[in-house]
Amino acid sequence: MTDRIDIISPVNLAQLDHILEKLRKPATYVAGATDIMVQKSRWEQAGTLIDLRTVQELVSTLEIGPEGILIGAALSFTDIIRYRIIQEKFPILVESCRQIGSVQIQNRATLGGNIANASPAGDTLPVLAVLNAELWIGPRLKDNFTKMSVDEIMTGPGKNCLQPNQYIAYIYLPFPEPTDPFWYFRKVGQRYSMAISKLSLAVLGWKHNNHIREIRICAGSVSPRIKRAVLTEKLLSNQELNSKVIEKAATQLMKEIKPITDIRSTHNYRKSTAGRLLQESLSTWARAGK
Amino acid sequence: MKIQFTVNGQNVLLDVNPKRRLLDILRDELQLIGTKEGCGKGECGACTVFMDGRRVNSCLVPALQLPKSKIWTIEGVEALPIFQEIAEIFVNQGAVQCGFCFPGVVMSALAYLQEEHNYSTKDRIAHGMAGNICRCTGYTKILEVVQVLETHKKLRIGIEEIFKR
Repeated sequence: MTDRIDIISPVNLAQLDHILEKLRKPATYVAGATDIMVQKSRWEQAGTLIDLRTVQELVSTLEIGPEGILIGAALSFTDIIRYRIIQEKFPILVESCRQIGSVQIQNRATLGGNIANASPAGDTLPVLAVLNAELWIGPRLKDNFTKMSVDEIMTGPGKNCLQPNQYIAYIYLPFPEPTDPFWYFRKVGQRYSMAISKLSLAVLGWKHNNHIREIRICAGSVSPRIKRAVLTEKLLSNQELNSKVIEKAATQLMKEIKPITDIRSTHNYRKSTAGRLLQESLSTWARAGK
Repeated sequence: MKIQFTVNGQNVLLDVNPKRRLLDILRDELQLIGTKEGCGKGECGACTVFMDGRRVNSCLVPALQLPKSKIWTIEGVEALPIFQEIAEIFVNQGAVQCGFCFPGVVMSALAYLQEEHNYSTKDRIAHGMAGNICRCTGYTKILEVVQVLETHKKLRIGIEEIFKR
């Protein structure tokens, strides 16, 4: 005997917000379903399912303003990869989306889902952190979304700070300035595709007169929450890239991250590899400047 | 939950549990058993089908998201005139052994041809085919098949047709 399952498929945001206002029972959101359907007990217990893929704005909206773009949270990775403006302005995001699962997964899984699942190994999370992504959370209160950053929404592995009636509506990405920054994203896993990462590193930086004007660094799978390596960033800012500085930065990053040992990798491996990835990225950048 | 969608161009109307997997609906309700279950977690690709013109793992599509969708399975592809040619290429390259992963591999290979419009490197094909696991042949032959398929213009056009329907 199965219990009654309620399916809610709102057609637009207004309807979704209206339903959530009245809903008096816990609901489970479904977008690409690629994670929730393998979390067997959560999936089986869910009594009310809200399909975000039927919400028109969340799957089709991609508003482009002068300052940045607004990505519907239920757009698939494939949709994101294929958007020309994203390819032009955010190649680092395209690269991380391409490395998620397989094409079959990319065709279904969503950016909003990657964030809401709050896995420290979520591949887009370090990238969103270095892009200064802003998450727009519904339902709207007096017509306004609640705004938060990637490190604010995630409270621990698999945990986010959203209330039962809250959902991720959009991901706002400001255009990086100037238009031509240095970027680096690398994921280390058992194999190139279909592997949950052991760790990943995203770097975004700008130089001015051979010195680092600004740098943003975020490692994935190395702590319970996604956090930028602010001390390493500070150490590097205004520096000229040479082997000594690069070495120092790698040492600082290894101090700054607190990886754990689990089924996929060990504390030591993650730590030393994160340092090496940073070395690799900064050396590449140093060479590119010449 | 009553759902209406199409499978291989045919209308389907079913009353199902909204959490039912597309994979189970295809195999148990519609007796389309060409689509296989391998891992049931979206890792092995044996259950690959096309949904609205894109390849997906049918083990990870819940019935509640099926309304109005267009599904193509290996049986639909098999009924196309170009299938014979595709099958021969797989056989001639020795890319099929036990055959369990084969329906998923064929679906993925055809989707790959539609996704990539140019001839691609082996690395790129390997990346594109990474969602399909085969435990028999090793992957070299499967990658070679995709390279051969890419050179057949007529096939590509035939495949485009499926994705339009």
